[in-house]
Amino acid sequence: MSFRSFAYSLVLFSAIAGAWSSTVQAAQGVTLGIFAYRPEPVIQQRYAPLADYLSHESGLPVRLLVLNQEDMNRALATNQIDFFLTNPSHFLVIRSDRSLTGVLATLERDWQGQSTGSIGGVILTRAGRDDINRLEDVRGKSIATPGMHFLGGYQAPALELMDAGVDILRHNRVVHLNSHDRVIRAVQTGDTDIGFIRTGVLEELLLGSPDLMAGLKVVNQQQLSGYPFVVSTRLYPEWPFVSLPHVDSRVVRRIASALFALEQDHPAAKAAYIRGFSPPADYQSVETLARTLRMAPYDQVPRVTWLDVLNQYRVWGITVVLLFISLMITSLWLSRQRRQLAIEERRLRGLIASWPQPMLMIRDAALVECNRAAVELVSYTSEASLLGKGLQAFSPHSQPDGTSSLQKMDTLIRRVGAGEVAQCEWLLVRSDGSEVWVDMTLAPVYEKGQEAPSILCSWYDINRRKHAEERQRLALRVFEHAREAIFITDAHGVVMDINEAYTRITGREHRSAVGSLPPLPLDEGSAILIAARKHGVWAGEFASRHWDGHATMLSLTLSSVFDDHGGLSHFVGTFTDITQLKETEKQLRTLAHFDALTGLPNRVLFSDRLHQSMAQARRQAYQLAVIYIDLDHFKPVNDAFGHDAGDGLLIELARRMRATLREEDTLARLGGDEFAVIVVNVADEPTLQALLSRLLITVSESVWVADHSVEVSASLGYTLYPQDIEMDGDQLLRQADQAMYHAKRDGKNRYCKFSDSGT
Amino acid sequence: MNRRHFLQLSVAAVSAMGLGGCSGPVPLRTGIHPWIGYEPLYLAEEFGWLPGSVELVKGAAATDSMRGLLSGELDAAAITLDEALRVFSEGVPLRVVAVADVSVGADVLVVKPDIASLSDLRGCSIGVELAGVSGVMLFAMLERIGLTSDQVSLVDLPVDRHLEAWHNGDIDASICYEPTASLLAQAGGSRLFDSSQMPDTIFDVLVVTEQAARRRPDAVRDLVYGHFRGLRHLVRSMHDAVYRVATRQGVSPDAVRQSLATVMLPELAANQRYLAYHGRIEVVARRLTEVLIREGMMQTAPVYERLADPSFLPRSVS
Repeated sequence: MSFRSFAYSLVLFSAIAGAWSSTVQAAQGVTLGIFAYRPEPVIQQRYAPLADYLSHESGLPVRLLVLNQEDMNRALATNQIDFFLTNPSHFLVIRSDRSLTGVLATLERDWQGQSTGSIGGVILTRAGRDDINRLEDVRGKSIATPGMHFLGGYQAPALELMDAGVDILRHNRVVHLNSHDRVIRAVQTGDTDIGFIRTGVLEELLLGSPDLMAGLKVVNQQQLSGYPFVVSTRLYPEWPFVSLPHVDSRVVRRIASALFALEQDHPAAKAAYIRGFSPPADYQSVETLARTLRMAPYDQVPRVTWLDVLNQYRVWGITVVLLFISLMITSLWLSRQRRQLAIEERRLRGLIASWPQPMLMIRDAALVECNRAAVELVSYTSEASLLGKGLQAFSPHSQPDGTSSLQKMDTLIRRVGAGEVAQCEWLLVRSDGSEVWVDMTLAPVYEKGQEAPSILCSWYDINRRKHAEERQRLALRVFEHAREAIFITDAHGVVMDINEAYTRITGREHRSAVGSLPPLPLDEGSAILIAARKHGVWAGEFASRHWDGHATMLSLTLSSVFDDHGGLSHFVGTFTDITQLKETEKQLRTLAHFDALTGLPNRVLFSDRLHQSMAQARRQAYQLAVIYIDLDHFKPVNDAFGHDAGDGLLIELARRMRATLREEDTLARLGGDEFAVIVVNVADEPTLQALLSRLLITVSESVWVADHSVEVSASLGYTLYPQDIEMDGDQLLRQADQAMYHAKRDGKNRYCKFSDSGT
Repeated sequence: MNRRHFLQLSVAAVSAMGLGGCSGPVPLRTGIHPWIGYEPLYLAEEFGWLPGSVELVKGAAATDSMRGLLSGELDAAAITLDEALRVFSEGVPLRVVAVADVSVGADVLVVKPDIASLSDLRGCSIGVELAGVSGVMLFAMLERIGLTSDQVSLVDLPVDRHLEAWHNGDIDASICYEPTASLLAQAGGSRLFDSSQMPDTIFDVLVVTEQAARRRPDAVRDLVYGHFRGLRHLVRSMHDAVYRVATRQGVSPDAVRQSLATVMLPELAANQRYLAYHGRIEVVARRLTEVLIREGMMQTAPVYERLADPSFLPRSVS
């Protein structure tokens, strides 16, 4: 079967079904459903004449069905009703269920000569309720209503209350009692505080029981002239008379014309308390009411698709999207920034925490933060033991400069608080009581929202430096005050620094000494630098000259100083003035070899000279003579005139003998009044004897001693060298001594040569 | 005597046009008097749709509002367009910010039975309240039938005395409105002409002073919005509104329905059209100015660049 033929048969079927139903209606009449807003018998009684009237006028049997809302909905669902009359709210629900269009007419109510096409709600309470006078008073009270789909009995009062700020679904307990009569009863008995009913019901009931109003009170009563009923709300169009779509249009026309033809004095109209029917009213206000209250059929918020929204609010939508995108981008960017900041902060924090230099943050004179190095510096175990304390807790009572730690810290903090950066040396006390010097820097850190700046404090451990300084100071003192002269030169020996002793010994001022060479031995000169460089040290004594010209003897020790790479960098020299020492030494040496009285060589030196002269005589093959001289009659002089006169005599005779002899000859005093002479290079015997004779004469001349002229003589013995046999000096001198002895024996004042004969 | 005075059976107390005080935002004082076209503002006030920025100053007749505008006691008013022009020409610059209604049949010409057509009016004595909107109607009508005011004999008479004059034979015709029109008709008169034959001529408008428009545009917007909100209730919930209007005017709901039939209540879109640059309001205002000056009812023409200002109209009414 093609689609076209299917559609055709469908249309055909519908037409047949429609024709059938209209025939059925024509034969069986129509059904008019009326909503029982009052008890069903009452409605049945009132509207039966209207049904009869319509039957009569239209020629169609009209069956009256009085139904409550549920029954009417069921009847409508099964198409048992052709026309109905109900309240506008209920009508809206039915219309939305069935897509009805056909409001044929709007009911015009009549009340004691006044007519109205408007309906409203009445808000009732008991007359004794003094606490309920205005709409606002209804909040929280219990409410009786006939049902949700009652215009006057629910929706109209609900809107007025909503406008007054009372949302009854949220603020009140609402009971639905299905009928207006029961609502009034509930209010009368006090089951509920408030009752909602539609307009007109109260007046109808008043006919039966005139004292009804004595127990009741109307809230928010409206003063509307020309309106026949008591009302609490604004007004809406009265009930619609509706035809259902399945009803044949001819039937609808007949019923409609009968409705409009109904006159106000017709018994049917009077029985139903109506004036008649007017053309359909505009029920838009009822729709708006239901929409505002979000009630059926407008309780569902229409499904709005995104496209609808987009179409209606395109510009807004795009703006919002753009804003949202920019917000997302901004927040992404911000979160990235924040993450980076956090990483940065962590890094910085880690850096500060592990930074080897102690750092602390001070706020209100108390530590609020510190790093590990700070904790370690003061030998504590954890940061917590530092935080919250003042800096003076880690300081001795007073600093080395005498001010108290507390006072000094206060001054510092005040200075830093004024924006300065302060730096000073500070003595801290560790937890174990030991002291540590730090170089402390305090800098202000301005933080937002804080009036006084925090203070960033850093410590630099200068303990080692302090000790080094101490040592240096000591070294300097030693250097300055040493008795030895100390100088430092560069690698070339040029003096760089000297001490006071240097100036004292050399006579050179610091100014002139620095930049020139130090005192050096005349013969070796700067060669000693090379020696010192080679051996590490050079030591020696040498003659030098004081700045003012006098000669000095210096004892110098020169050490080379090597740098870290083993290269020579400096020389350090120390020297002392040993001039005095040398002089003493020389005197001692003279005492050993010379006769103190006459200054002539003594026996020791004589032996030495004799030894040398003998060796020389042998080498040069010449003769030498040794003469032994002993003074005659010396003792009487000594005894007569004293030792001083004796000494003077000896000195004078020694001088005379010395003068008689040649330069190369040696005259020595052997002791007492004994002398000896070495005569070198003796040409012959006669020459020697001539010398001997001269000696005798010289000695025998008178000498003036102790104011006396004294005359002595001498006995001389002599011997020659070399002789036939080799002999030593002592033997030679003994020979001369023996010869002298001979001369003495022979009568004194004469000379005698040694001979082997023993004479 | 203003034509709307007859509606004033229960005269709303004229609120004290006292001093507003110097501190705090003074509300926009708006002169109003009972007339079906102004009912939306009354309804708005009754339902609380006028914010604190707007205060209705209720007078008995249009003259109260005109006086208030001229003395500076009022910032805005609901009056007819010709009344607005007269206030303007007397030195208070105004702007028309909304059209409340357009008369379509409210003003009628009732004539003695022997007058069959408008052209028969030549030489007749016509009773008219010249100072009111009836004057405008008369001149517009004469212009339309090609007569000048010299060719008829004008009897300047308050409307409420027309019936008496009619019976005394003092007038052959009357320009009047309900209920006088109905009374004259019962006395044998026939309606020869009414304002519905001169569409878009007789306007009731909301005006604000130039000063208020410049200094307090938000309050003006609130006023206009309140009018349209009330208008919507009047139109959409007529089953309710008629009773409220009837209560305020002291007449029956049926009378309200009848008077509603004699006016057009333009909605927002229509207002935009009327208030447009060189739109209907400005065109009619120019013509009215010419007529009023020609007939000696206005001394000088008001000077303005724009009289109508649609910028205060809301985009929509929710």
